[in-house]
Amino acid sequence: MEEKHITGEHLTAFASGLLEKGYILISEAPDGTGFTAVKDGASVNMNTAARPTKASFKQQVFPKTEPVFHFHKTVDDVLLFDPLPHTQKTVVFGARPCDAKSISIMRKVFNWDYKDEFFNARADNTVVIGTLCKYSDETCFCTSVGLSPSSTDGSDLFLVPLDDGGYAVKVVTEKGQQFVSENPALFGEAKAGADAVAATHPGPAQKFDAAQVRTWISQNFDHPHWAELGQTCLGCAQCAFSCPVCHCFDIVDEPDSFLEGRRMKNWDACQGGMFTKHASGHNPRDDQGKRYRQRVSHKFSYYPERFGEILCTGCGRCTRGCVVGVDIGEIAAGIAGLA
Amino acid sequence: MNLYKPDLMIIRDIIQETPDTTTFRLQFKDPKVAESFQFRAGQFAEYSVFGEGECTFCIASSPTRLDYIECSFKQFGRVTTAMRRLNVGDVIGLRGPYGNYFPLEQMKGKNIVFIAGGIGLAPVRCIIWNALDLRDQFKDITIVYGARSVNDLVYKRELEDWKNMDGVKTVVTVDPGGETPDWTGEIGFVPTIVEKVAPAGENSVAIICGPPIMIKYTLPVMQKLGFTEDNIITTLENRMKCGCGKCGRCNIGSVYVCKDGPVFNYTQLKALPEEF
Repeated sequence: MEEKHITGEHLTAFASGLLEKGYILISEAPDGTGFTAVKDGASVNMNTAARPTKASFKQQVFPKTEPVFHFHKTVDDVLLFDPLPHTQKTVVFGARPCDAKSISIMRKVFNWDYKDEFFNARADNTVVIGTLCKYSDETCFCTSVGLSPSSTDGSDLFLVPLDDGGYAVKVVTEKGQQFVSENPALFGEAKAGADAVAATHPGPAQKFDAAQVRTWISQNFDHPHWAELGQTCLGCAQCAFSCPVCHCFDIVDEPDSFLEGRRMKNWDACQGGMFTKHASGHNPRDDQGKRYRQRVSHKFSYYPERFGEILCTGCGRCTRGCVVGVDIGEIAAGIAGLA
Repeated sequence: MNLYKPDLMIIRDIIQETPDTTTFRLQFKDPKVAESFQFRAGQFAEYSVFGEGECTFCIASSPTRLDYIECSFKQFGRVTTAMRRLNVGDVIGLRGPYGNYFPLEQMKGKNIVFIAGGIGLAPVRCIIWNALDLRDQFKDITIVYGARSVNDLVYKRELEDWKNMDGVKTVVTVDPGGETPDWTGEIGFVPTIVEKVAPAGENSVAIICGPPIMIKYTLPVMQKLGFTEDNIITTLENRMKCGCGKCGRCNIGSVYVCKDGPVFNYTQLKALPEEF
């Protein structure tokens, strides 16, 4: 992997240059809510020592709600209109590895057979500049799902802050390479020191062996442990909405009037009781234990089996946001303990 | 290509099957789409009423008759209620076909028994006509259909056609208490009737669709008759939204019912976690 160096001032100039070219730049909002657009290059938030924002940048590629077409009824016909294609180029600045990885994980399900052009248009127009993460608390567990504070997976460029105030730049993908080539004056020769910085941020201690969790789940569908886990969960679905990789959605019509409206693709979550309820009233997941089993199994067993990726980046958001303290890292560690 | 944008279809005919079940006969508005549209028996589609939403039903007509497609639905929720308000000439949307299909090749040269309960006859009707249109490729054909009451029997005119057809044994039954004074068919639950009239399991295939409780009690009967697990075929009807392996709603374990199903044989069914 090619390495470069960029000074602090040059990074600001680089960001300003992108804004001038018409890119939208998003980075973690200083108030900790989520990612927001920055107005000038100097406002890009590269501080990863702070607690991660409540929301990831998932909305950038998979919005909470988006129209998939508009309809207009006439006396004896219906006209359908595609929404304008998403062409806005966006750069995510300062994504931690647990967020940067999300696009490549979700890309699998949105492309394994039929292709979801809505996701793809957004993902293809997004460039991720990842950054070494200096934060770690008891809810983090990136090191248990194959990531680390310095993993470059999912980033196009990956920055490691050096002691000189500048950054070591790892050029991960072609998209990243293009940025470097376009700005020869800003990206200088690589300087040593990135490995030493990375070594001082090993991240959280490993909580569980993901392979063990997967094996246990695949053999214990009827284990009473699931019902116990469901006792705590309220089914509010904040975990799914704050998750960088939860991707379940609903398709709902939103009429403006009798004649016009649009069909929307909206976030949904497997923790709600109506999620799988049949028209007949039969519900394959009719209690919270079954729904919680689905959440954990989908992340650590079903998705890896189907798509070769763990559907979790260990960011800890679901745990930090949970009003009743359900801790998925602890649950997975508990499951590994049962194996 | 917009995955979620349906093709438009015109309602050509509406048949009131029972007080709460309706069949639509549909034709594509765009002749080019009609020409390129192909499906196989057992596949499903997403039907939409614009402003109300989408609903998942199987395609109930046979792929051997491609100038129209039919769907049958029971009025239950928002979309099906809206569909009941539509008239001949109105436009609805259709996305599909989605999912896998009945293994017609595996069925060829064998005895076939079709077993359906209630509205479960819709997907079976598709493969019944498919098989009847290729009659000489199969041995004995038996149809067992049951509903709660005489009033709840769907496709009544076709049940008569099948009864009068040579080389097809058709048995229609209603649950005890569901018969009328002039009812001449069987009275009893589907599994009991199947045990009486189904062919021996050797070189035979069973296609079973209906409420979960009917399937649950029919499976042991089929095994008793000697049907091999690969030759007991049914469909799963999980709740779906996208129909194409994205929205994460119909999953059973790592299986997407909308992609890997809805048709499963008993061997495949047994390998799934019990969550359907």
